[in-house]
Amino acid sequence: MHDKEGMFIQRLASQGISRRAFLKYCATLASLMALPPTAGKAFAEALAKGSRPSVIWLSFQECTGCTESLTRSHAPTLENLIFDTISLDYHHTLQAAAGEAAEQARLDAMKKNWGKYLVIVDGSVPTKDGGMYSCIAGISNYDMLMETAKGAAAIVSIGTCAAFGGIPHANPNPTGAVAVSDIIKDKPIVNVSGCPPIPVVITGVLAQYLALGTLPELDNLGRPKAFFGETIHDRCYRRPFYDQGKFAKTFDDEGARNGWCLYELGCKGPVTYNACATTKWNEGTSFPIESGHGCLGCSEPNFWDAGSFYRPLSTPSRPIKIAELGLAAGAVVGVAIAIANRSKKAGAKAAHQIATVADLEKKP
Amino acid sequence: MWLEDIPVNVSGADEFLTGNAAAVLREIASLLEQLAQTGEGGCIDLASLPFTSADRTWLRDKLGKGEVEVSISAGGPSTIVETGTPGVWWITHRNEQNAKSGEFIEVTLVPELVATHPADVLSGLESLNKKIMN
Amino acid sequence: MNDLAFLTWVRGPGLGLAITIFLLGLIWRLIEVFSLGRKKDLSVPRHTPGASGWHTIYRRSIPFHGALSHNPATSVSYIGGYIFHIGFFVILLFFAPHIELFAYVFGLSWPALPSRLVDFVTVITIIAMVVVLVDRITKTVKRFLSTFGDYFAWTITFLPILTGWMAVQHLFLPYTRMLAVHILCVEIFLVFFPFTKLLHGAATFGARWYNGNLNGRKGVPV
Repeated sequence: MHDKEGMFIQRLASQGISRRAFLKYCATLASLMALPPTAGKAFAEALAKGSRPSVIWLSFQECTGCTESLTRSHAPTLENLIFDTISLDYHHTLQAAAGEAAEQARLDAMKKNWGKYLVIVDGSVPTKDGGMYSCIAGISNYDMLMETAKGAAAIVSIGTCAAFGGIPHANPNPTGAVAVSDIIKDKPIVNVSGCPPIPVVITGVLAQYLALGTLPELDNLGRPKAFFGETIHDRCYRRPFYDQGKFAKTFDDEGARNGWCLYELGCKGPVTYNACATTKWNEGTSFPIESGHGCLGCSEPNFWDAGSFYRPLSTPSRPIKIAELGLAAGAVVGVAIAIANRSKKAGAKAAHQIATVADLEKKP
Repeated sequence: MWLEDIPVNVSGADEFLTGNAAAVLREIASLLEQLAQTGEGGCIDLASLPFTSADRTWLRDKLGKGEVEVSISAGGPSTIVETGTPGVWWITHRNEQNAKSGEFIEVTLVPELVATHPADVLSGLESLNKKIMN
Repeated sequence: MNDLAFLTWVRGPGLGLAITIFLLGLIWRLIEVFSLGRKKDLSVPRHTPGASGWHTIYRRSIPFHGALSHNPATSVSYIGGYIFHIGFFVILLFFAPHIELFAYVFGLSWPALPSRLVDFVTVITIIAMVVVLVDRITKTVKRFLSTFGDYFAWTITFLPILTGWMAVQHLFLPYTRMLAVHILCVEIFLVFFPFTKLLHGAATFGARWYNGNLNGRKGVPV
């Protein structure tokens, strides 16, 4: 076996990954992406035969949590397998080159693969004051994104910062941070949101692009429907308790120990679209709600400014400010109308005349 | 420390039937018919629809227990169990951390993952020949 | 504006605004009504058992004899009206997320009903409201008696119930947006409450007490 597929399988074998393990991984990946079971096989074939497309990873206003989420997911990892099938030509944190050589690598990759490379972005882009709040090699994030995106086939925004602005975008947004989709309008963009995003969602999107050359079906916020199609609440294993009206009232009461619903403790699961409840975290160990903490809603735009994490969704997102002035105005209007009515009544009373039978019988 | 060690007792969460198991059973029947007529079966991804553990138990009871049980150790343990309905196989994949990563029903004569790939036969032969030569 | 920002607005500034207008209007209207006053009644009050303001509040809250069976034309209004009002309050007061809101605003909470039961009540309530509306439109007399105000009050009462139910059922719009629309509809309801026929929610029992008291002085239990 000296064809591409054979070589791929051999390379996997050298890493201790058998053909069956690979097929199994593809089957579960297809399952996670809500593709039909037959797609797993197509996936495996295409991945094995696939060329190594160039990927340029740009890190802007971010915390590297997204990269950590992906690279620390397993060891030795099947997720890394996706990294084996791409040519990661530029990534601040992971690349060996530094300084001018690093920037040169980016420019070379762009030139060589113009129109075909994939750009991955994590972190938001500051736009205030000429974008001076985040620069790499003297180039502002904004300029680097505009330059690199020009020749890209598609852009994958990894993490809530790149997808929606995230924490840098939160009120009062001192750097004028925006999402990639706010400034790039002419390229297909996939938003893989989450703080951080689920590793398998990142690899799933990459795998589909590598294997089938297509981008997944997206929701109205540009997120892959397969992973962001349902809310945490709808897929939550504690959902039946919500339906039964059984809620934990504090983090250490009987209800919390019984694993009841965390709605009253501020869980944002009902308005958060993500796959945590099904794919889970730390190799399928659990997800936040399983650990007894409500969902923060990190994969949604503006989640940071959507009210307290610890207040139920049905309560005000900020303390109700009733304008006393308004109430006073109401009282004033009421009193004014009352006085008007009274004077009308007094007027009618004053105009009142006593009529006798004789008056009525009087002929005009 | 394992998750089971944390004194959280989740009761009653999974006790009802969603009705999806019955739908899956009908789908299995039609795949079996197809297998009998054309020799081509099919595969159902149990993760693709909401399934409670009650649904799972119900489906297991209906399908019954067969004679063959295959355990595969590749990227974590997997089991392929023949159900009491010949031709219907219950596949459970687990990752290296032993967490369930996929669950399928395959309707086929022999599950695909069990058969040896011809390419692997050749590479196996190659390495065996090397051993004979030495 | 994305869905979550919309929801955050209706849960925050929008809610504050709606409650302010609601209270403003309510104070205004109640001062206006109560300040009208009455002339002093110089007659000697009579005392007849069962003739009092409180008695009238009670009597007019339960159906009078034959109301539900006597005349099919009016029994639709009675039965539909009771079902809808009781359903409305069951949904408002016993759905767990609503109780959370009351707990936040008033510091009081009570046990919730299972959401499936509330869901069932909601469907019944929606059906009852549609039936009374159709009845109002198809019956000639009721149609002539109806004004824009009646249809408007019906609409802004119906929308919060319908959108809330659709949000829970995940119908038509994504949950987040539907929930925001639901809360917005409630805020519209609050804003118009003092200035439409919905004010009966604050005035009915006062009016009944007044009628009962007035007639009670004359020795007539009503």
